Amino acid sequence: MRLAYWMYEGTAHHGVGRIANSMRNVHAVFHAPQGDDYVNAIFAMLDRTPNFPAMTTSVVSGTDLARGTIRLPDTLRQVEERVHPDLIVVVASCSTILLQENLEIAAQHAGLQCDVMVYDANPYRMQEIVAAESLFTDLVKRYAQPQPRTERPTVNILGPASLGFHARHDLISLRRMLKTLGLEINVVAPWGASIADLRRLPAAWLTIAPYRELGLRAATYLEEQFGVPALLDAPIGVQPTLRWIERLRELLAQAGAEIPMPPLTAFSLDGMSAPSAVPWFARTADMDSFSGKPAFVFGDATHVVGITRFLRDELGMPIAGAGTYVKHQADWVREQLTGYVDDLLVTDEFQTVANRIAELRPELVCGTQMERHTARRYDLNCMVISPPTHIENHLLAYRPFLGFDGADVIADEVYTTCTLGMEKHLIDLFGDAGLDLPEKREGVAVAEPAPVAPPVESSKPLAESPVAVAVTSAPAPSQTSPAAVTSAPAPVDPVWAADAEAMLKKVPFFVRGRVRGNVEKYARQRGHAVITAEVLLAAKEELGA
Amino acid sequence: MHSKATPIREDGIYHSFCGLVSVGWLYQKIKDSFFLILGTHTCAHLLQNTLGVMIFARPRFAVSLLEESDLSSSQPDIAAQIEEIKREHHPSVIFLLSSCTPEVMKVEFEGLAASVSTPEVPVLFVPASGLDYTFSQSEDSVLQALIPFCPPAPPDDKRVVFLGSVNDAIADDFSLEAARLGIPVAGFLPASHFTELPPIGPGTVIAPLQPYLHKTATQLRNERGCTVLSSLFPFGPDGTRRFWEDLAAQFGMRVDLSDREAAAWERIKHHTDLLRGKKVFFASDTLMELPLARFLKACGAEVVECSTPYINRRFHAAELAALEGVRLVEQANFHRQLRTIAETKPDLIISNIITTNPLVGQGTVAKWGTEYCFLPIHGWAGVNNLVTSFTRALQRHAQLDPLGSDPIWLTGMMPSSPGGVISLRS
Repeated sequence: MRLAYWMYEGTAHHGVGRIANSMRNVHAVFHAPQGDDYVNAIFAMLDRTPNFPAMTTSVVSGTDLARGTIRLPDTLRQVEERVHPDLIVVVASCSTILLQENLEIAAQHAGLQCDVMVYDANPYRMQEIVAAESLFTDLVKRYAQPQPRTERPTVNILGPASLGFHARHDLISLRRMLKTLGLEINVVAPWGASIADLRRLPAAWLTIAPYRELGLRAATYLEEQFGVPALLDAPIGVQPTLRWIERLRELLAQAGAEIPMPPLTAFSLDGMSAPSAVPWFARTADMDSFSGKPAFVFGDATHVVGITRFLRDELGMPIAGAGTYVKHQADWVREQLTGYVDDLLVTDEFQTVANRIAELRPELVCGTQMERHTARRYDLNCMVISPPTHIENHLLAYRPFLGFDGADVIADEVYTTCTLGMEKHLIDLFGDAGLDLPEKREGVAVAEPAPVAPPVESSKPLAESPVAVAVTSAPAPSQTSPAAVTSAPAPVDPVWAADAEAMLKKVPFFVRGRVRGNVEKYARQRGHAVITAEVLLAAKEELGA
Repeated sequence: MHSKATPIREDGIYHSFCGLVSVGWLYQKIKDSFFLILGTHTCAHLLQNTLGVMIFARPRFAVSLLEESDLSSSQPDIAAQIEEIKREHHPSVIFLLSSCTPEVMKVEFEGLAASVSTPEVPVLFVPASGLDYTFSQSEDSVLQALIPFCPPAPPDDKRVVFLGSVNDAIADDFSLEAARLGIPVAGFLPASHFTELPPIGPGTVIAPLQPYLHKTATQLRNERGCTVLSSLFPFGPDGTRRFWEDLAAQFGMRVDLSDREAAAWERIKHHTDLLRGKKVFFASDTLMELPLARFLKACGAEVVECSTPYINRRFHAAELAALEGVRLVEQANFHRQLRTIAETKPDLIISNIITTNPLVGQGTVAKWGTEYCFLPIHGWAGVNNLVTSFTRALQRHAQLDPLGSDPIWLTGMMPSSPGGVISLRS
């Protein structure tokens, strides 16, 4: 047992809901307490679904348990009557799975016309990603039929799904590129696919599955079972997109279709410009300062690999660290990021990620909605590059992450999230320059109350404390507790002398928190219990602040 | 005061939130509290998605996460986590909330809470499982858990205690209004701090501010011998007048607030004109449906259906009487509600956060009923907020260019309905 504040992945039944809500005429039925119906709200709110999400909770109440009644057959009949699905996927929840009921028999009891699949997702062993990926793979295995290839070369796109990160936009970007190449699409799934579409999957010449989290296994199955080659790379960034197009043409050539490469300008929105502005943008003088802005990247496997490489290879930013919560993809991520990251963080515990960020104090955090909590706490720049997301990440305009169009979107996001180069020079030269508000509170307090550093300890003058150094430098695997989050900057904080405090006040308010943190870290490492003006100057020199 | 309104009871296949969501406002209300849910990944995911709309640096709620290896032991050990919480948050009280899985595991919660409770930081068991409690109901369980910590009041201490979590501004309004009428106030349950709970005894009059607290009210009546005010809930000019007049009567005062009520109606005339004759359908899940529907009826709207998760005949007696003639449904069936909506074509649907967007997508005007748990709509000061919450939805939709029944504007918005949506109204 552990104390958990936030979760990176949703539950297994949420993963099932994502597949059902992506597909046409597929409905999920949760054999679950009323309380588990909340997943509907995530779809209705974040995806702003204009129709009812394709899932229904067949309520199990305390009274039902006491009486031994099971409402599932009746609910199934109601669902069939109202939405006429081709397939109903039944799944238990974390509490009802403990009842060890035979849902197969209960479902048969309903006597439905449509297909019913009782999906055995143990919520204690699988979460959203594995549940969605396994269900989708099972569906492809169940329905895909051997058949001749389409006459002209066509491709499948597997992976985009309801509540997928910028999934609708990525799909537009992929479609645009395929159209430019003169390729037609056979089936997109699960997004908008029907059971009949799943049957047609083997007719394609190639399957594109850009996400490690969803569609990968189904694409591999189609390759092994039906000989449909699979392109499993994610075209994130300009160079990866160029390589992706090359690979796609190679695989199609091997399948017997020579696809001519159009001029690169054909991939741009107006058909007459560079397909992405990133290569030039990265070389502009404005971007020089980005070589001094370390970034920390955390999220799902696909986006962490894509973004980390993009930041370093295409924007020239240093990588302070990276990590993923998708544990079963950790080996792949580690391999992909060899040479980019030495010490990949693999954890699904929010507090551990927060500790790492507190330790690194990067200029930019690329993370999930949860890293926004952490960045707020430590006053760091943060952009969201991976699910789980906030409603603010579900914007209307075309904002893909994949393809040439995606490269521009990501670069814009990085640029507007960071403190800019010229701005920084002016600040360094003139200090506040009128940007500060007279009553602005200090440092971390700008955003949040300061992390709890017990005042008793901070008032103790602990000179040359080796303990303090040990505590701050050790990532301490046992620090998975919330206590560890707040105490991350160390239980022993150096004290600020008046002269140093006065100097710190001259640092612009919006970087003051970070400077304060860095100087304290420096002081701890050097064993200074009191930060004097001298220590501050030495730290600035050392850290290049 | 028995109502002739006979609620219809259906099978409860409707959309709703888990009772645990009450944590979202209770942790903010009781400022020195911590809410610990003994639950699973599901509970954590629920909280994340319902409360994660805000950016928290330091949430005062968490889940003690049951993982597969914990399922075999019937009595989990939470002592270490309680210590962590104390170290990190220094709460005066920790509420230990149950959830579905430990209920199925038959965890003995009273004993578990007692084993980690200390006189300095009590750990109080709160039944809140989604098997038994729906949205907003678990506030009732939290307040019940606080009852033993309300000091006893002597029989001659005749004062009012307002029941239900309201924000400080509303609490001030009620204190001032009581003072104006000469009604002595002992306090609020819950108070803003655990250490400030009001004394309650046989002389206390409990005045419920929220309609979902009947367990607490009943327990206070049984254990402390206090009187529970039976009146309308203080929403709208009609409800607020009745509430204060009936409360004053408990203190032997005859108060006539008819002028005050008339003035309040007059101030919102522009809005009630808009609501008059409008057909309104309640399909929400907050348990605030009865008083809200009663207010709209008083505004001249036609309430075509008022569905609500549960009705308590005694606690809601006055509201039920005022709703006579309105079709009331408990534990509604959502499929049937959709059919009724298609037949009755309401002008406004008060639904919940799950169904509102899809209902709008079907060509209706719908608004979040969930909001009423957070809006300052109590008393005289809340009248304007209350009425405009209804008229804003109507006016906004009227002001926007009509979508008509052309599904083109919904095309591609939802992968499982790629061609847009067939309107319920067409």
